[in-house]
Amino acid sequence: MVVVVATIKSVSFYTQKDGQQLIYTPFREDTETVGQRALNSILNATIMISVIVVMTLVLVLLYKYRCYKVIHAWLFFSSLLLLFFFSFIYLGEVFKTYNVAMDYFTLAVIIWNFGVVGMICIHWKGPLRLQQAYLIMISALMALVFIKYLPEWTAWLILAVISVYDLLAVLCPKGPLRILVETAQERNEPMFPGLIYSSTMVWLVGMADNGETRNNSSSSSSSPPPQQESHGDFALEDDGGFTNEWVGQQEQRLGPIQSTDESRREIQQMASARPPPPDDDEERGVKLGLGDFIFYSMLVGKASATASGDWNTTLACFVAILIGLCLTLLLLAIFKKALPALPISITFGLVFYFATDNLVRPFMDQLANHQFYI
Amino acid sequence: MNLERIPNEEKLSLCRKYYLGGFAFLPFLWLVNCVWFFKEAFVKPAYTEQPQIKTYVKRSALGLLLWVTVLTTWICIFQHFRAQWGEVADYISFTIPLGTP
Repeated sequence: MVVVVATIKSVSFYTQKDGQQLIYTPFREDTETVGQRALNSILNATIMISVIVVMTLVLVLLYKYRCYKVIHAWLFFSSLLLLFFFSFIYLGEVFKTYNVAMDYFTLAVIIWNFGVVGMICIHWKGPLRLQQAYLIMISALMALVFIKYLPEWTAWLILAVISVYDLLAVLCPKGPLRILVETAQERNEPMFPGLIYSSTMVWLVGMADNGETRNNSSSSSSSPPPQQESHGDFALEDDGGFTNEWVGQQEQRLGPIQSTDESRREIQQMASARPPPPDDDEERGVKLGLGDFIFYSMLVGKASATASGDWNTTLACFVAILIGLCLTLLLLAIFKKALPALPISITFGLVFYFATDNLVRPFMDQLANHQFYI
Repeated sequence: MNLERIPNEEKLSLCRKYYLGGFAFLPFLWLVNCVWFFKEAFVKPAYTEQPQIKTYVKRSALGLLLWVTVLTTWICIFQHFRAQWGEVADYISFTIPLGTP
């Protein structure tokens, strides 16, 4: 989130409205009347959400029918796109902002290194910290793209609706994400790489049936005597529940200049309580879906980009999201089930944003005007 | 990935793969290799595969140093002489700073 805020503040590229919109939000927001704007943004949001839902369903279906290759190829391709193309654009803009000259050769080396090592870390084996760092970076890139390309009201509406959808999809018995997690559990399989962020390493011991591999998932466990983990921030125990966050992906088309697709991930946080197989040598950490990161960052980024209250609002949103996250983890510890990570934090974040923007800001201004210090 | 948990042969093979991979213009990979396997190679008590891991780490460090020197020299040259080279410099520039001649 810090990265996103810093970028928004310094690189004006991401806040310029150059008129391009994603193809999934065909309705413009600079219309005449408020009513029309509201209608358009609702339509936009509906379209986006339905795309997300469809993609999630497709993903669940693919998973159910064991079309693993398709899923892996999809994930591979989208992380490739993110790592190379978006970081290329990002670097270009950063250099332009700081007025630094850069030649193609050095740039090529940098991007090539960054991308390839990123692919290796995420999809194959790599040090845990590096993998976490990469996942955070691509989430930030994603959030930045969203902030730039989604019009105002649509973005806020989408955030709100996504959290509701998250809630439904994870907790309802028929929700796609729930189905996904349960299927994954039944088959004793790991979650896909590149979708989940974990705070500790999860290990697979080469057992025939019982082994589970998870690539960097952090799962929080509820009752935690600390294990002999050298990495985890959270102390975890094997028979605690683990949270999986599920990411659904979505394709979006960028503006007319680029004919590339961008994938969007939606992540759900899920935990399922399951006693570990007795001879399984597993550590569980806290698992958070990448989509959660993306939406948190998007919220804070939008707050810093468009708020009239500037730093106050941004800080308030930041704090709100962190509080929401702590609450969610607490609930996770209590319930030991898969939980959606978005609703609580996003709700807090939105409430704080609008409240701070509209109430606190004028208040502080008046105080400053009258030189009245509290 | 927790290095503690994997057997030594796998550590060796991982180190080796990272080392070989670095030859594809990937000094960053060599850097990761050095940092990650440093403890394994130099701090841990000896085990059978350790000497080989040590060689790989040392060679990765060497390659990394080489790349860093090459890149730094090139960047210095470029930044210094960019304005003087005129058209050629513009051609290979990705971003051109505003305001400087």
